Amino acid sequence: MTKLIVEDLHLAYDGVKVLEGVSFQLRAGEVVSLLGASGSGKTTLLRAVAGLEQPDRGRILLDGHTLYDAAAGVNRPVESRSLGLVFQSYALWPHRTVAENVGYGLKLRSVPRAEREQRVEKALAQLGLAHLARRYPYQLSGGQQQRVAIARALVYNPPVILLDEPLSNLDAKLREEARAWLRELIIQLNLSALCVTHDQTEAMAMSDRILLLRNGRIEQEGTPAELYGAPRTLYAAEFMGSNNRLSAEVLSVDGEQVLLGGKDWRLLGRALDWLRVGDPAQAVVRLERLRVTDAPGPNRIQAQLSTAMYLGDRWEYLFHQRDLRFRAFGQTPLTAGHDYWIEFPQQDCWVFPEPVAA
Amino acid sequence: MTTLNPTAPQLALPAAMPARGGRRPDLLRWLVLGLTALAVLTPLALIVYQSVLDAPFFMPDKALSLDAYRFVFDDLDFWSALRNSLVIASGMLLISVPLGAVLAFATARTDLPGRRWLEPWLLTPVFVSPMVLGFGYVVAAGPVGFYSNWWQGWFGGVPWNPYSLPGIAVIAGLTHVPHVYLYCSSALRNLGSDVEEAARVAGAGPLRVARDVSLPMVMPSLLFAAVLVFFLGFEVFGLPLVLGDPEGHLVLTTYLYKLTNKLGIPSYHLMAVVAVLIILVTVPLVLLQRRLLRNAKRFVAVKGKASRHQVLPLGPWRWAAFGLVMLWLFVTVFVPLSGIVLRAFVSQWGEGVTWWQALTLDNFSGLFEQDNLVRAMVNSFAVGVLGGAAAVFCYTALGLAGHRRHDWGVKLSDYLVLVPRAVPGLLAGLAFLWVFLFVPGLKEFKNSMFCIWLAYTVVWLAYGMRLIQGALLQVGPELEEAARSVGASRARTSRDVTLPLIRHGLLASWLLVFMIFEREYSTGVYLLSPGTEVVGSLLVSLWATGAVEQVAALSVVNVLMVGAGLALALRFGVKLHD
Repeated sequence: MTKLIVEDLHLAYDGVKVLEGVSFQLRAGEVVSLLGASGSGKTTLLRAVAGLEQPDRGRILLDGHTLYDAAAGVNRPVESRSLGLVFQSYALWPHRTVAENVGYGLKLRSVPRAEREQRVEKALAQLGLAHLARRYPYQLSGGQQQRVAIARALVYNPPVILLDEPLSNLDAKLREEARAWLRELIIQLNLSALCVTHDQTEAMAMSDRILLLRNGRIEQEGTPAELYGAPRTLYAAEFMGSNNRLSAEVLSVDGEQVLLGGKDWRLLGRALDWLRVGDPAQAVVRLERLRVTDAPGPNRIQAQLSTAMYLGDRWEYLFHQRDLRFRAFGQTPLTAGHDYWIEFPQQDCWVFPEPVAA
Repeated sequence: MTTLNPTAPQLALPAAMPARGGRRPDLLRWLVLGLTALAVLTPLALIVYQSVLDAPFFMPDKALSLDAYRFVFDDLDFWSALRNSLVIASGMLLISVPLGAVLAFATARTDLPGRRWLEPWLLTPVFVSPMVLGFGYVVAAGPVGFYSNWWQGWFGGVPWNPYSLPGIAVIAGLTHVPHVYLYCSSALRNLGSDVEEAARVAGAGPLRVARDVSLPMVMPSLLFAAVLVFFLGFEVFGLPLVLGDPEGHLVLTTYLYKLTNKLGIPSYHLMAVVAVLIILVTVPLVLLQRRLLRNAKRFVAVKGKASRHQVLPLGPWRWAAFGLVMLWLFVTVFVPLSGIVLRAFVSQWGEGVTWWQALTLDNFSGLFEQDNLVRAMVNSFAVGVLGGAAAVFCYTALGLAGHRRHDWGVKLSDYLVLVPRAVPGLLAGLAFLWVFLFVPGLKEFKNSMFCIWLAYTVVWLAYGMRLIQGALLQVGPELEEAARSVGASRARTSRDVTLPLIRHGLLASWLLVFMIFEREYSTGVYLLSPGTEVVGSLLVSLWATGAVEQVAALSVVNVLMVGAGLALALRFGVKLHD
């Protein structure tokens, strides 16, 4: 069942276009992440769904009810959309206790005091906050504040919960734990959630589907595996994961198989877009796909190791070959200054046409 | 973990909340904006209307004409007053801007000795009535003043004359240093110390840092303050009234004030003309200021990180800077205030009188023997405490009407707030007098404190709105958005989130407005009537009658009232400026 429908949403501030025709759907029990660089419009999109920004064009429907429809002149105010919103800064009211923060939404809905207290208590207990009910926000740690913010957004059972960079205010260490915790919570409560993030790992871990936004449009939409494993554009390919990028010329095209040529190297790659012989092209290869070897072989480039960096669970190597510069991972320490042969697996060497300069 | 309240039905959307909750609060909002517009524009309109009549507006045989303008332009006194105003405004600009900038830099960015306790003292001239200061200079540094007499006893002659035009300009300049200091120091405080440290690391000494980095970066604020001081120069009334009288130096405001007696009959049309002319000078300056402010905001992007503050070590220069600050404090605060206090405790003063022989408390006991003086003290206190609270209430209502909105209503209120800035208190009081005379149904209120309160509230609208908006800006927008998103309407959000969060700011504003209302003197000048005396304005009329002892004692009472507010504000850690 479809919970939330967004259709052709446009929004501009003082003539600067922020959203340029975004459409997507959120199904019941699904977590969708809005992923993008800063300025891609992801937060604006979330705020438009919440009703905090007013779009210029398009439609937003929730459970079949119109929240916003430019053509029909409908714009339901924020407070009557009944969505749950978790702010990046948590936005806990400093003058209210944890219980008062969480219970405010119920108070506005005229829930009788006894039931209100019971529901607040239950919500806090579920998030492991029962002992903090009488505290004030400033007495809580960052992680606890985040959970209060989530409890506040969930307590009145909103049909969809909106999360704006929910983890970005936490320490790096805490963030990974919170990510797992939040994913588990969403699944257990069977929530429908729309989540904004700029962190691709977070987006992949948290969500069932990812919308990659770029300049106010959806660049690509799909499951985390699709976005990571089968990007459709150069931008999507580069946005996800850590990558090497090589500029080259298309020497020959044979179906999906392309032969690329550089100054003194040749590589076979996989075309992910239309390519013509003689055109400049860009090849993208994920770091973890490169294989470092000691001997020449098919689809290998000889290069000198500039430096090797120890990362704890693996090594990261930096190679130079004339004007080429690329990185790879490995498990063994290698000697800087030596030459190695680096294999670019043909299937993982994605080739896109050179983007037209803007 | 189990499902969060699985039994509760999912909130059915349309039934849960009224679909459009915003109707009624919007009505309230427009009511607030409308009343503000009425209170601000009616007096102004009346002044303009009166200026093109050939007789007071209540006369039966009035007619539209420009005679009044002709009369004023033919009057030599007007031209000399205009010239004097220009001289004083320019003098103030030349004195207060450099001095204010230096004081601000020294206290905000350097290790000046005692910079923490100095701040309230630096601001005292803002909170003391210029009437009191002017009077203080007369009794302290006038031809037979305390300090003049002592100086004469030692050196045989006095090099200063506070009654001369340059003397008035210097005194006005010194007393307006805090206005520059305020804007400059808050801008300097917002400046990250990293930009200064970068200059230090590159090899600049403290003075070079100030000259090359700090001051240029706060230039927009400095310009803003310069324009402010310049147009305040056209609004000064108390100082030239007291100091300009002996040698007959008139400025525009005192010229207006003296016009009453000029023709023997109420010369409202002439006063209106002068009022219009003063406003014609100040309005462009206020608009210029607004423009500068907008440019200043654009500068924000280039300021450093304001997270950490490291003061600049001045080395041996710190005592020189300390000396300069103390000298200014001595001349601007200590001399007039000590003069007035001394004068209040002696029965007479002149050459050959020793102050311990003339020592007396009669001046103060005398205050309680006259009904009008007692009433003035009670009224002043009431208008400060109750009126101050009511004014803060009004400012808050207007502040909330414009809070987080971006429509033409906000633009309207921005301009409405500007208007009273351009109208000096003396003119505003006059205009309100006319409003209460002219508008049917308001006449009964003419002789009530309501009339004075309304005039005060409108005159200080811009100041009050800055306080309230400063408090409102402290509230993070997401705190309000969070309330909206869990289902609170705009009005409910204001009540449950915004107002509780700014309550300390509101209390602080109340205290500051109290002080300003105690200090106020020019607005009430035309609104005084038996029963509605206030201390500040009564000083003006008592001064005219020559009751020096009463003026001195009442001045001390006035200073004490403001001082009590100031002490309370400091006790509660109220920031005296943003």
